[in-house]
Amino acid sequence: MLNKLIPKELLEKNIRLYMFIILLAVAALMLVLFPVPEYKGYIDPFYSPTILVLPFVGLYRLTCYAYRKDYNRHIFKHPIACSVIGRLDDNKRGYTGETSGIFKIENLHRYFLYSAIAILPFFYYDLYISMFYTGSFVLRLGSLILATNAVLITLYVFSCHSFRSLIGGRKDCFSCMHGGKSIKRVYDSQSKINAHHETLAWASLIFIIFVDLYIRALVAGIPIDHIIFALVL
Amino acid sequence: MLMEKNRIKIRIYRKDPEKDAKGYFQEFDVPVEEGMVVLDAVNYVTEHYDQTIAVRWNCKAARCGSCAAEINGMPKLMCKTRIDQLGGVVSIEPMHAFPLVKDLVTDVNENYETERAMPEFTPKEEKEPWIIDEMDVLRSQEFRKCIECFLCQDVCHVIRDHTTKYIGPRHVAKAASLDMHPADSLDRSKILTEEKGLGYCNVTKCCQEVCPEHIKITDNAIIPEKERAADGFYDPIMMLIGKIKKRKNGKNVE
Repeated sequence: MLNKLIPKELLEKNIRLYMFIILLAVAALMLVLFPVPEYKGYIDPFYSPTILVLPFVGLYRLTCYAYRKDYNRHIFKHPIACSVIGRLDDNKRGYTGETSGIFKIENLHRYFLYSAIAILPFFYYDLYISMFYTGSFVLRLGSLILATNAVLITLYVFSCHSFRSLIGGRKDCFSCMHGGKSIKRVYDSQSKINAHHETLAWASLIFIIFVDLYIRALVAGIPIDHIIFALVL
Repeated sequence: MLMEKNRIKIRIYRKDPEKDAKGYFQEFDVPVEEGMVVLDAVNYVTEHYDQTIAVRWNCKAARCGSCAAEINGMPKLMCKTRIDQLGGVVSIEPMHAFPLVKDLVTDVNENYETERAMPEFTPKEEKEPWIIDEMDVLRSQEFRKCIECFLCQDVCHVIRDHTTKYIGPRHVAKAASLDMHPADSLDRSKILTEEKGLGYCNVTKCCQEVCPEHIKITDNAIIPEKERAADGFYDPIMMLIGKIKKRKNGKNVE
């Protein structure tokens, strides 16, 4: 039973995997132990709408095709690089790909995509709150950072390969459908951002950590936030 | 550094399976000319040093795919790889994913057999001539750029380093080109998943990186096929919709 659940890749000695799990566990523990309160209209994205959505967001990223490439190369070393020299990948090492145990969950990436889409509006709500928390419009550096974060995450989510399949990838004949031309146009536009999915995946991950650190710095009293524009009524 | 006075060291893999138990490298000193590619260097060696080196090439224009080899550890076409981009020592090996014939020549026949085993183009029951919109054929046409050099098969770690039933990126791209054809009636994602080991691909995109035709094998063929396979095997909602559609239409979607 346990053998069926745990793929061979997870059972071999792998320092990189242990370090990755430890890092994830420490990061999750830190987020739980040191929550960030709302600060002058800024809500930390890790706690919006609640920290309880983090497992879904985490699974969305873990099952993402862009990150699959990265962790299969750099954590599992299947293969470590495209160069065929010194790959250390051979039949003695267990390899099941995405066919066994918990790795099968990668085939359900689309469900985590749905949860990511459901969470997206909260980023824009937080942005709205950061600009109107006084009752009138105030644009601060932090709001611009939150806006960049929201845009990057939106682009990352909607450049997803599963989303590409959902909006027309599984169709073979656009001209046979009602509104086929428009659907094809949307599909082609999405394909353009899909080509940058890996870049967006990493940019949005790094940026959300930056936003978290920025808000933590403000809460700690470091004066790095500046008002850019204020509308006084 | 090593490319002194416009000369370069070429290390060519030598092995005659009928005589040699193990392969070895033979080193040659070759003068470098402007615009020289690896194939030029190998041809220089066969003309000036050793005519017994087995090498296969044909068009020298990156169209036939015959001169595929592993150059400094990366699967590449010899005719498309410039010497001045490689540094002082250039090691050339055959594609080790396939049985060796001699030196740099391998037997890639297994690929043609795999290709023949793929369900062929099966048109829908429509009156001929088919009227196909340009926007519908563009997607499947990308894969028709394939020159069958099989570099993607060579670099694929599943094909090269593991024993599985995975048929490899070239053949998934072929299946995708047929599946995405608007006049084709089959869905090959089922056979790809059940019999041809599609799930063994872990999307590390090396096939896409080495493709000399810049076909987005992983993004445009393998992942869409994986998504179609998810529709039929993993996604309960899509499986239910598929069953309802099948019952409604009474069509065979195998």
